[in-house]
Amino acid sequence: MKEKREKQKYRIISVISLAAFILIWELLTDVLHLLPEKKLPSPATIIETFLYKLTNTNPDGSVLGIHILTSLKESILGFCIGVGLGVPLGICMAWFEKFDMFFKPLFDLIKPIPPVGWVPVMLMAFGLGIMSKVTVIVIAAIVPAIINSYSGIKQMNPVHKWVAQTFGASNGQILRTIAIPTAGPMIFAGIRVSLNASWVTLVAAELVASTKGLGYMIQMGRMVGRIDLVFMGVLVIGGFGALFSALLGMAEKKIVKGGR
Amino acid sequence: MGAVIKTKKTQTVLMGTLGILVFLAVWQIAVLVTRFGTIFPTPFEVLSGMAKAVVEPIGKTTLLGHVGISLSRVLVGYILSSIAGALVGLVMGASKLGKAVLNPIFNIIKPIPGIAWIPLAILWFGTGNTTIYFIIFVGGFAQMVMNTMAGAENVSQELIGVARVLGLKKNRIFLTIVLPSCVPYIFSGLQVSLSTSWMAVLAAEMITATSGCGWLILSGMQSGNMVNNVMGMISIGIVGLVLASFMRIMERRLCSWKERGQ
Amino acid sequence: MERTGAIEKQSMVRLENIKKSFDVSGKSVEVIGGIDLDIEKNEFVVLFGAGQCGKTTLLKMIAGLEDITKGTVYIDGKKSSGFHPGVGMVYQTTSLFPWLTVMGNVEFGPKARGIKKEERRKKAQYYIDLVGLHGFEKHYPVKLSGGMCQRVGIARAYCNDPDIILMDEPFGHLDAQTRYMMEEEVEKIWAKEKRTVIFVTNNIEEALYLADRIIILTECPAVVAKEYRIDLPRPRSMVSEEFLALREEISQLVDIPRESEEKAV
Repeated sequence: MKEKREKQKYRIISVISLAAFILIWELLTDVLHLLPEKKLPSPATIIETFLYKLTNTNPDGSVLGIHILTSLKESILGFCIGVGLGVPLGICMAWFEKFDMFFKPLFDLIKPIPPVGWVPVMLMAFGLGIMSKVTVIVIAAIVPAIINSYSGIKQMNPVHKWVAQTFGASNGQILRTIAIPTAGPMIFAGIRVSLNASWVTLVAAELVASTKGLGYMIQMGRMVGRIDLVFMGVLVIGGFGALFSALLGMAEKKIVKGGR
Repeated sequence: MGAVIKTKKTQTVLMGTLGILVFLAVWQIAVLVTRFGTIFPTPFEVLSGMAKAVVEPIGKTTLLGHVGISLSRVLVGYILSSIAGALVGLVMGASKLGKAVLNPIFNIIKPIPGIAWIPLAILWFGTGNTTIYFIIFVGGFAQMVMNTMAGAENVSQELIGVARVLGLKKNRIFLTIVLPSCVPYIFSGLQVSLSTSWMAVLAAEMITATSGCGWLILSGMQSGNMVNNVMGMISIGIVGLVLASFMRIMERRLCSWKERGQ
Repeated sequence: MERTGAIEKQSMVRLENIKKSFDVSGKSVEVIGGIDLDIEKNEFVVLFGAGQCGKTTLLKMIAGLEDITKGTVYIDGKKSSGFHPGVGMVYQTTSLFPWLTVMGNVEFGPKARGIKKEERRKKAQYYIDLVGLHGFEKHYPVKLSGGMCQRVGIARAYCNDPDIILMDEPFGHLDAQTRYMMEEEVEKIWAKEKRTVIFVTNNIEEALYLADRIIILTECPAVVAKEYRIDLPRPRSMVSEEFLALREEISQLVDIPRESEEKAV
């Protein structure tokens, strides 16, 4: 009872705090003009810009919907390919020793390079189009997918393996029925990191060079000095980041915990 | 047993070298045969380019100079974000009121990638080092806050009771119990945030700098000098590896009480 | 380190009609239903009872770790509320500070009370030696076995110079062999460093081996069911006729399986 009331109290404080934050921001900008509009747009302006951008192509050539779609398409495509390759690769590296020996040093060389570093390389190789971005995102997504599936499989309890072996399970059966389920939560954590990395890398790639997308939009906003546009874009990027992790969190609950 | 281990070791080395050789061969063949050759250098060209760049300047300084510049930028932003992040995290983790007040605002900032702040930072601070410091700062900040907060929230209430029975004053609980329990969490935050910082500096340098590793690979692209580009990548990878190993060693030193052993 | 014995008999701990209830999903559940108890100076009292009948809660209330719903605790003749400097506690689970070495843990109390480094080190060393951990001063708890951790816990409690030591099933999580060893150890230390000890257990042998007096508590809500004064000479043999007879009698009384290794959570 007491705990419930306490929780309620803190929830109210949170709401007040958020409201106060926005209110003070609005006061400092629109009402009192203490901070220059050029440096910090007011919340009202940001909302206005958001509504305006829904239907208007100024100043960057596309409406907001197109930017979002472009960014989503590139990042999700890259993410899916990266995870689709990375998870099986990680599992194979953990399961087949020879495979591991062959790929490990190579992987260790690539791992520490931040995916952003690949942007110029891929731009030179594939040009400005979708191909260059997708390739970079594949690299960004594949690394955490490999690392986590690898350590997830390696985590398998040897006792479980011995039990299966005494029942006459084949190597493939053990992999399917014991190793992969054990690694499930770990693999999922990796996929989460991959998705996050995909989104971050996409924004970086679009900032460096592109003609559409949210990253491009904020970069253009900066070039023409429209800080309200930049602010709105940053918030939209953050919003999608939060949406992704919420969706994946829900999927994780369904698959990893409910599945068994 | 010993012999078995030995053959396994040589096998690992052999297979590993084979893997890298195959990679280099594919690279070499790709450059020689496909259209990659028009833009991409061969591995050999990259190596000789690297050797040259250690003594001859590219742009403002030599290869090592660029690495040093990037590192010094990371250091400033990283130290600032670690301190600020740990402090905010401690406040949010140790005080329910602090969390109630700060969490909604933090939740808005948290999902925004550090890199997305670059255009804003340029509008705020111009194109100087301040912008780069700021990007590194926001890149690591959220991670630090989350880890430290988790640490402070997971402090064992039982241990606080133990300390109180032993005569510890209430006002000293924070320094004596809460802070040391947070150290492992802070450390894993420091590790993650160092790698995001290293990524952030590259992105920032690509967009707004005239020196550093990020500039090196971007200018390589712009001037069509792919050797510089690949060279930049390799140095980035090496520095990233060194930083990660350094953090692991530090962790082993400072959190030795967590390590199980004989 | 020998303490001067009290000339007049005076109760060290006095519990007056102690009651405790918890709120469980809106309903008030009474776990301790009015306990009166007088414990003499340097007496070894064992609180014995099966299952979760509030023994730990009672200790926590004496230590100041738990609010008292009703009743009063007197320590050394004075009413006590909250933490009392004269009370030390040894816990059921590992309660060592994992980031401190054995030395750091043992000297924690004196340090918290502001005793100078040299003095507290000397004292801590004495108790580390006493519990047989000489040479392990610089080890971290994670590298010690369960029995060793409990030894550190005992040394830590003693090092703070308490008049009363509360022990909450300190050996509940140890294997049988280590448990016997630790029981012997506790008795030896108590013989050497007389203190008032209140010891909680659900193991009959342990109770009979250690106690001057066994207080048997009933199941929820806990009240005193019966008291036994154990006058067997120390150190006791666990297979002597009197020991076995008492054991039979008590186990009949509390009606729990003989070899009950059940641990209260």
